[in-house]
Amino acid sequence: MSRLRLGLQMDGASRGRQVRDIVQTVARLHGVKGALIVAPDGFVIAAEVPESVSVESLAALAATLGRDLEVGATRLGRGAFQTALFSAEDGTLFLATSPIGFVVVLAEPQASLQSVRAAVAEGVGLIEAAWSEAAARAASG
Amino acid sequence: MTAMLRRLWGPAAAPRRQTPAQLFAQADRRRRDGRAAEAARLVAAGLAQDPDNLTGHLLAAYLHLAARTIEPARGEFTWILGRDPAHPRALLGLARIALEEGDVETCRESLGRALRIYPDFPEAQALLGATAARRPAPAPAPPPASPLERMRLPTLARGLIVLGPDGGVLTAQPESLAGHGEQLARMAGLAAATLRSARLGAPRRAVVESSEESLFVRLDPALTLALALPRTTQITQGLLEVNRMWAAVGHDGARRVS
Repeated sequence: MSRLRLGLQMDGASRGRQVRDIVQTVARLHGVKGALIVAPDGFVIAAEVPESVSVESLAALAATLGRDLEVGATRLGRGAFQTALFSAEDGTLFLATSPIGFVVVLAEPQASLQSVRAAVAEGVGLIEAAWSEAAARAASG
Repeated sequence: MTAMLRRLWGPAAAPRRQTPAQLFAQADRRRRDGRAAEAARLVAAGLAQDPDNLTGHLLAAYLHLAARTIEPARGEFTWILGRDPAHPRALLGLARIALEEGDVETCRESLGRALRIYPDFPEAQALLGATAARRPAPAPAPPPASPLERMRLPTLARGLIVLGPDGGVLTAQPESLAGHGEQLARMAGLAAATLRSARLGAPRRAVVESSEESLFVRLDPALTLALALPRTTQITQGLLEVNRMWAAVGHDGARRVS
């Protein structure tokens, strides 16, 4: 069982709490500096980032970048945007789309791309599962 | 707008009789938890009682953005500015929509208005910085028979675009991709600003995965090279291919932009 799933099962709180758990769990992975989930309007839903990073500015830019990737992929006929990674001198930024916004992870240069990508994918999967279940309940209720 | 929110997020459960302020406060808490559907029901209930409430319309705009429904969001932000022309969040919202649509001038104008009223507005400052970071210029005419045009793409490659330091297209294969240069330049500029904001330094590589295609990018201040490959391409393979193209293009590109 993965660390993410285990973390969620240990804590059966609300979906809001689940989202915070996802961020905290990803942020604690080896080589990860921080993580956040930001709504498409730039609103920070949950964040664990170093104090040196301005979370409002990062969220605004990450959401804008995420929307640009979503709109661009559709406009250019590449299908639906799913994930991106941007590697730089001092680390790598991962960005993935989800039903509630964008999952953003900041990783050290030496972090395992595959491990972080897998954790991000799992986080997105958990969000999708929780929100589709909720949508189904709302529709039937 | 209220009816549209209801339709968007599913059938509304009848809430207990609460004041609009209580409903909007609850909605904001739900939104902070990422529970947009519940927030939307509360906003719809609040606006039914107080249709001219600015907070309610702002929340409605955010919830439309969360659902990626841009026109209703634009309508809500515009409605707010009709009543409060200096509303910073509505100005920021319209700026973000303009940027999303590639209208950089309108975006900067809205951000400038917001910052004139509220100079200490980190999100607006960050976006203004990102739009100033790299603005595409018209593509220069490449010289005939340049080695850039004679480069061989990998067998499975769907396309290649190379941009110069100003975002202008140096080459595109097939040529029809030249029209995508502006989008690539904007993405590169936003990525650079986001990485800077995250204190990760200048961008070097990117991989953008969509359902049908993966885009492998290498970039430095002088060149941006993007290679489109099938979605099934392994990242390591895609990076090898883009590195090979970079090696082939890099020297030529450096000579041309010097």
